[in-house]
Amino acid sequence: MKIVVTVKLVPDPNAEKRIDPATKRLVRTGVETVLNPYDEYALEAALQLKERIGGDTTVTVFSMAPESLKETLRKALAMGADDAVLLSDAGLEGSDVWGTSYAMAHALKKVGFDLLLVGGLSDDGSTGATPGAIAEYLQMPLVTNARKAEIKDGALHIERETDTGYQLVKAPLPSVMTTALTFGEPRYASLKGIMGAKKKTIAAMSLGDLGLELPVGSAGAKTELLAFAPPAARGKGIVVEAADGATGAKAIFDFLKEKKLV
Amino acid sequence: MQNVIVYVQHKNGATPKVTFEMATLARKLADQLGGKAHALVVGAGSSQLADTLKTYPLDVVHVNDDAHVDGFLLDPVIDYLDAAARAIGSSLVLVANTLGGKDVAGRLVARLGAGVVADATDFKIEGGKVEAVMPKMGGAAITTAAFKAGDYGVATIRPNAFAAQAGGAGATVQPIEKPAGKSYAVVVEKDVEEGTGELALEEAPVVVAGGRGLGGPDPFENMLKPLAAELGGAVGASRAAADAGWVPYSLQIGQTGKTVSPSLYIAVGISGAIQHKVGMRSSGTIVSINKDAAAPIAEFSDLTVVGDAFAIVPELTKLVAASKA
Repeated sequence: MKIVVTVKLVPDPNAEKRIDPATKRLVRTGVETVLNPYDEYALEAALQLKERIGGDTTVTVFSMAPESLKETLRKALAMGADDAVLLSDAGLEGSDVWGTSYAMAHALKKVGFDLLLVGGLSDDGSTGATPGAIAEYLQMPLVTNARKAEIKDGALHIERETDTGYQLVKAPLPSVMTTALTFGEPRYASLKGIMGAKKKTIAAMSLGDLGLELPVGSAGAKTELLAFAPPAARGKGIVVEAADGATGAKAIFDFLKEKKLV
Repeated sequence: MQNVIVYVQHKNGATPKVTFEMATLARKLADQLGGKAHALVVGAGSSQLADTLKTYPLDVVHVNDDAHVDGFLLDPVIDYLDAAARAIGSSLVLVANTLGGKDVAGRLVARLGAGVVADATDFKIEGGKVEAVMPKMGGAAITTAAFKAGDYGVATIRPNAFAAQAGGAGATVQPIEKPAGKSYAVVVEKDVEEGTGELALEEAPVVVAGGRGLGGPDPFENMLKPLAAELGGAVGASRAAADAGWVPYSLQIGQTGKTVSPSLYIAVGISGAIQHKVGMRSSGTIVSINKDAAAPIAEFSDLTVVGDAFAIVPELTKLVAASKA
């Protein structure tokens, strides 16, 4: 069985983000590029499934990113993925959610898989629409927010989180799946894994390989970014030292009353 | 884009508040675009929900009580929305930015070949073009994006960002035909509701959140819950509290948890690391209670009380309760 996991490469989410007022772009200087934390959970799920299914099951990592970020994928390989595919092309720059999903779906069709895991959210864009759009272009089922998954009699059995609780769902293969954070904490790469990752293959793919009918990149985008600005500054407010519970409670209550919140 | 279509997410007729926020927003946008405001509600309990929906300022509510919608995951809904959008013509589809809403938005983007704006908190119509304002990266940036030419667009709407206001002439409730010749593969074998009766964290007007400083699960239950109840809000937590197993992950606010923007956010024993900050920084008013005056949370709190949360919170609960008596 072939499992493919898509990962996105994002600026380190633990770093305080800054926007350059002149270029209106995120300042990336001095900020490390990492695997999107949500996608690490998807990769963990894939690795767990591989261990459970056994046999000749493989895990391939797929990413759409500039070629210069290629080495960041070694982290995924060090965690235990078998190989990687990187879709890079200058023509993809400026792609919106639609264009990204459209290009990725066509590339993933070429890569081929029995099960595709897509990180549910991206840390920098937080759209959450990409997995659904990819599944639709691939004409495949989409099962999201899985916290448990099992493959039995050639079908995917999933326990998934919903807005009101959870569901047990059965889907055929191949399918597209996203995982919830409760699936399991991403593992650390072992030293052996890190050494082994150096020898694993990262295959290159470009737009020329996909034969897309519609234009992607800025030219094909269905939406355009007009402004990208830091939010209005949130200044430090009042600080009150409370010697006892009553004093503290009164300070808060009076404040809430003044703001008409109680 | 001319018309607006609201996709109504619900279960047996029970729908989150954001549905009514979207119904109200749809009217405003449709008027500015010179089109009509529609809503689509399908699945068991839809007719009953349509009775409530029609009191909101919509033009048409399209309804089908089709049980297929509940028996199969996602795909029947997409077929209905696709059919409705094609019949209505050029339109902006509004979907709640919830777990279920995001799935609908994603598939619909590809089905309609449409652009998508996500987690919108405001709209502007400029020269017939729809522009959406969206906080990104946990509120570290505010972006504005416009739909380019195209018949369809999809927008996911942040709960609590728009006002819900019933009124208007009363919408027409109209049955929508079940899309023909479709078969579905993803079977919902069991559907379990949890935590019913409690307010969804993302929709709560007040959130009382606890962190490492609470030291264990009991203060969440005995201290934060009563305060939240008095304020008409919900309880949340920092990642440290969820990781420690004091509360379920569904209560976690932050980078790897939920994003909330209530009118009032009370942080109790939370240091305010960036991980937490990005999930709540867009709240209306932020009050923090912390024993450490140097905790980062003070830097973005409107009021910081430095003191013993275990003494302050119960007193505050009493004051709030007394003010209502």
